[in-house]
Formats: sequence, structure tokens, C-alpha cells
Amino acid sequence: MPGALSDYRIVDLTQGLCGPFGSMRLGDAGAEIVKIEPLDGDASRTMGPPFIGDESAVFLSLNRNKKSLGLDIHTAEGQEIVRRLVTRADVVLEDFGAGEAEKLGLGYADLQVLNPKLIYCAVSAFGEKGPLSNLPGAELVIQAMADYTNSLGRIGEPPVRLGTDVASLSTGVFISQAVTAGLFHRLRKGEGQRVSVSMLGTLLHMRGIMWTSMTDPDDWYGFHLDSYTKPPDEGYKTKDGYVFFSLRRGSSEDWDRLLISLGMEESLADPRFDGFGREVTGVGRYVAEVKPIWEKAFATKTNDEIVHLIHEFQGDAVPFTNYMSLFQQPQVQELDVVREIEHPTAGTFETIGPVWRFSDTPAAVQSPPPTLGQHTDEILLGLGYSSDDIERLRVTSIIG
Amino acid sequence: MPGILDGIRVFDLSIAAVGPWASKLLGEMGADVIKVESPDGELSHYIPPPIKGSAVLYISANFNKRHIVLDLKQEADRAIALKMLEKSDVFIQNMRPGAVERLGLGYDVVSQVNPKMVYVSASAYGRTGPMAKEAGVDPTVQAFSGWCSTTGQPGSQGEMFRHFAHLDINTSSMIVEAVLQALLAREKTGQGQNIEIEMLAASMSLQTSRLAEYFATQEQPAPMGSAVTTTVPHQAFLCEDQKYITVGVVSEDQWPRFCRAIKAEELIDDPRFATNPERVEHRQELIPLLEERFRAKPVAWWVIRLTKEQVSNSRVQDFEALRYHPQVLQNEHIVDMDSPHWGTLSVDGVPWEFSQTPAGPVCPGGLKGEHTQEVLREFGIET
Repeated sequence: MPGALSDYRIVDLTQGLCGPFGSMRLGDAGAEIVKIEPLDGDASRTMGPPFIGDESAVFLSLNRNKKSLGLDIHTAEGQEIVRRLVTRADVVLEDFGAGEAEKLGLGYADLQVLNPKLIYCAVSAFGEKGPLSNLPGAELVIQAMADYTNSLGRIGEPPVRLGTDVASLSTGVFISQAVTAGLFHRLRKGEGQRVSVSMLGTLLHMRGIMWTSMTDPDDWYGFHLDSYTKPPDEGYKTKDGYVFFSLRRGSSEDWDRLLISLGMEESLADPRFDGFGREVTGVGRYVAEVKPIWEKAFATKTNDEIVHLIHEFQGDAVPFTNYMSLFQQPQVQELDVVREIEHPTAGTFETIGPVWRFSDTPAAVQSPPPTLGQHTDEILLGLGYSSDDIERLRVTSIIG
Repeated sequence: MPGILDGIRVFDLSIAAVGPWASKLLGEMGADVIKVESPDGELSHYIPPPIKGSAVLYISANFNKRHIVLDLKQEADRAIALKMLEKSDVFIQNMRPGAVERLGLGYDVVSQVNPKMVYVSASAYGRTGPMAKEAGVDPTVQAFSGWCSTTGQPGSQGEMFRHFAHLDINTSSMIVEAVLQALLAREKTGQGQNIEIEMLAASMSLQTSRLAEYFATQEQPAPMGSAVTTTVPHQAFLCEDQKYITVGVVSEDQWPRFCRAIKAEELIDDPRFATNPERVEHRQELIPLLEERFRAKPVAWWVIRLTKEQVSNSRVQDFEALRYHPQVLQNEHIVDMDSPHWGTLSVDGVPWEFSQTPAGPVCPGGLKGEHTQEVLREFGIET
């Protein structure tokens, strides 16, 4: 069976990371996507190096399953092409910023007239209301605004961002939810609507537990609240690498035996090690200060030996990976989420494929990411433009 | 106005954060979520900090739900569960692989009772393979999924994100995507289905754009403090008052505006910096020029200048500044929620806005088993 969204058409006016990641996920679920790019291409096409051939690796990773239409939407004829596409589409995605789509004649009110059942998804950086509603977004800026950087690095040192593009990509997931939810409602009740998400709203949602923790805690205690003042945790050094472990279960007898088997008898009398090690393993409050004690015991043992030992004592233990060691892990190979894609000009590249496993509506990579304007002619011919029209539009720099 | 998932009932057997946060999102879209716990209560009750004696994790991951207790190891309660499952639409569980089958509520059993069921299992590392039996939580998945390796000061080997929930909720969020797709498909086919997802795979999916660098180069994208490999300038700068401003020039039209904002018009046409790939290549020449410029004035000045020129920027905010920031208030990113048990709490707002089927409002869940009688009565079950 095809993916759950295989009957739907999406017109995607977004650029960068956020919107394209969202639409790519909808494409994984089967939707047909027309990606409208400015004549000089989506901004992420110049994000890099690294490049694979002439294409940005970042761009390639976010734009499979799409057809590219190069279009100057600041021209009347360009806007007309968008309107014609929307007339036969189910979904529009845009990230122009508050009020900007309306200036282009591409706001919800403009397009709903043409297609009353349209799902119109607006993506913004900071949210559609308020003093920052028109300020562009950037990954680090949203992280810094959302308090994310305060759970990284060390007090008094320069800020550290989360390496992963969370503000952008987590918003992409909420885009995919909002659109699918809109389509679900339309299927049940016959009604289209406007939906919106924002990068700041995304991160503030995902950090909600922190806001609640800080409202009125019984004590300033627990790993959420500790996170502001703890030093960076880089895992535990072993003979041949780093591990991370947490040991909160088991009996006191098990706990004592673990410490003895590691030659840590002295710690048996250390009150910080009480409570089956609750506060000296995992994300416990004394983890940073007792780390040298663990590392002394781990120094003669390999990652595998430590992981095995912790498992014996009903704990969780994993090697601390980087991107090189990650793909050497048998469990990662078992998951089989890496896909090879053959690109028309850049050649073969690897990327992370869809990660949901559906028994009936499997998601799949549908097609490689497009070159800029790769499908312009095909799309315009499909809309009823003649070859002469297309030639004229190209010469006048309306399409590319 | 009813929410999008009005009439959809979720039987939520999940624990800790991953499953509960997914059903919370479904509840905020209007689903009737019934959280089912064992008499002992689930794991999250024991995780500090508490507010008025209840664990914040339990409070926070369980908005917009009703809470019941069933002892599924007892045949009578398992029979109640099956009766409820006949009239439910979505089933979510995130026990260790094999555990739900041992309770007699595996996909085979539940889909027999209710072929329309959208049945979701989330695991840490997968249901097959050498780590299938292992439990995982946000920090272990952070450590194992390469996630830490791109974060840290330059030269570091990578550090953990001390907000130990993003990879939990990331998995939750991808569960919600899958559930919505399956509900949509069910409207057309009349059939439910089985969905599996792993925290590990979900984390890798979230790292798509950074893993792309690795796939392209076979090299580790190094931690760069506040900066990043692929975009320049996109980092924090120290200002005269020893505060930091974060900025990001993420499209070419922003570069001249950025140069004007910092009164460095001479850089606009400098061929070394003309495009983002050029700026990445000449990062070592450009950044010291910018650092010197930012050090000359306090952060407030740069916020004004950059905002006027429509260049993305922010101070490094903390909760106290954020909580009452007009942007946050007006968009209801953080909202105040009254609750019968814990007073008024600041909580996460809903992450989407729907014009016709508003999500929310965010409502407190309850205490363990608080709604058992009420819910069982609705199902016509006498106890």
C-alpha cells in the first residue's frame, strides 16, 4: 500500500530548513510536492560547504520527494502561476513572515477563495503576533531566545548552541502534524483551514517541563532545575572510549556488589552514593563531582566491559558515540534508517530515511531532491501553459 | 468549537515522557485521552522535582487527560481494558519490547478486539537487534545517537544537552505525526494499523541536516561553541557590556542588511565575503572583524540595529525574561494554567494554531486514578 498522504498535493513556498523538513516528511508519507524556489534557488542551496557535486549537503538532506519550480513570486505572472497551482492543490506551506503573503496576494484569504477546502500552513520564526512577528529566524537565535543555551556549556564561558538544528527541524515535525491534522479534519468535516506553527513556539513547547519546574518547586532539586548550574557532561572515560550509564534499579545488595566489583569499596561509606546510586549515576546531582571516582575504576576496562558490567546490575549503559562510531553500532545497522539516493547531478548520497514503521501505509523515499527548476516546464505544461508561454516566461525572468 | 480529534479516544498505557507527551499532544488536539496506570503508579511519579508533592514530569507530560488505574495482571482488570479497547481509536505504549505482549495486550490481541485500532509502540533502540531488550531514556539516547558529538566548545568531544527531554518529546512528536497519518488512512480504508518507532531512529531523523555533513565528508562535524559549519555569520558575539548577542545571516539578502546594521558597509562588496560559501571559507578573516565591531557597543544597541535591518538576533534569554516577554505572551507560547492540585503553573502552550478547530486550552490532568470511577461508568463498566 502507498503512504497515508498519497492522494494529496502540496505547494511548498518555504525555504531553508524548517518548512522543507516538514514538507519532506509529508512527502515521505506519499504527498506530491511542488517546491517553489526563487530564481537563485532556496537559501539552503548555498548552505555550506560541504557540497556534494554542486549541491549543498544540507539542501539534499531536506528536499527529497519534491519537484522544483523556479519562480519569481514578486511578479504578477509569477503569483498567477502560484494561484493556478493552488487551485488544484490540497495544501500550501509558506514562511514569508507576518503579513508578507498578503502583500503578494498569496494570503489565506486570497487563496481560500480559489480553493475553499485548502489547508494553508504558515510557518514563522517567533510567532505571528507580537513585536518580533516580522523578524527572520535563525537556528541559534531561536535556541538562545528559548533558553536552550542555558542548559549547555559552562557558566561564565561563551554560549554553546545545541549542534542539532532543533529549532528548525522540530518545527518541521509540528508542520507535518498540523497539515495532516488539517487534512484529517477536512476529510471528516469537509472544511479547510489556516494552520500555523513557529520555531520559538516549538522550542518553548518542548522545554515546557522546565517552565513548570521553575514555577513553584517544593525545593530547587532534581535534574531539570540542576541543569542550569551543572558543568558539561561528556560521558565517562574508559580504557578505549567513553560511556554513559545510569543505575537506578536493583537492591542495595546489588549496588554494593557493583561498587566492590569495581574496586570502589571506599565509596560504600560515601553518603553521596546512597540510595542505590541515584545521585551519582545518570543525571543525578553529584554526577559531576564523583565522576573522577568512576573514571578511576573504569580506566582499566573497555567500553564493552563497562556496558556489560552495568547491564549485569540491571542498569542502562551505552557507548558515548560520535557520527563515526554511531554507524558502526550493530543496533544502528539493525534499524536500517539510512537510505542511498541517486541524484541527477550530484551522484549517490546517503541520508536518513523515514523512521516510522507502518504496517499498512509505509512511508518511503519517493524521488531524489530536485535541481533548481528541474520540473519547471513539466509543471507549467501541466497547468496548461504552452511551450511558447514557457519560453516567454523564461526570457522575462519570471520562471527559471 | 471542538478540536480536530473530537470523538477520537486514546487508550494510553504509556509511561515516563515519550508516550505520555504524545498522548498529551493528541489530547490538546481534542482527543479524549485516558491514561491507564498500574496501582503502583508509573515511573515518572518518582522523578524530582515535585510541586506540592507531585512530580513535575508527571504533571507536565499529562495535560488534557483523564487518569485511571487498572491492574492489568489481574484477569478482571484486563477484561475491563479489552472492553475499553473495543471503543478506543488509538493505543499507545512504550514499555520495554515484549512487556505489553506479556500483559496480553500485544498488537495481535488488540487488533482482534478492534480492527480499527491505531496501535503505537515506541521503544528506545528497536524491537529487534542486540539492544532490543534495553530500556533507554533521554540521556542514554543522547549519548548513544551521536547527538552530543556536535555540541560543545571548540575542541571538546561533545557534551550532553542538560534539558533531558528534547529527544523524548522529539519521539513523542514523531508518534503524533504517525498517529495522524494512520487516522487519516483509517477514514479511507476503515482499517487500523500497527506503528513502531524508536527513540534512536527519531533522534537520527532530527539530526538529518547535521548527519548530512558527515555523509558528505565522512568526517565528524566538530562542536563549534555557538557557531556552525555551514553558515557564516551564525554565532554569538560578545558585546561591550559583557553580554552576548546571537545573530544568524541565513540568506544572501540578509548579508548587506547585516553589514549596514553593524555599520560595516565596506564588507558588503568584499569578494571574500560575497556569498555564504565564501564567508564559510574565509571565516577566520571575517569573524575577528565582526568580533571587534560587536565589542564596541552594548547588546541593547545591537538588538536595535539588527532588528531595524531585519536580521535575526536575540540576547541569550532566561526564563524570568522569557516568561513575560511580549512575544511569548501574545503568542501564548508559555501560558498560565490553573490546577486543582498544584496551584497556577507556567506551562508550555500548544505548538500549533488552527483557525477552525482550535487546539487546547491546556488543562491539568489529574492524580493517579483520579478519574477511574467516572471513566469506567462511561464505558458502562460496574466495579
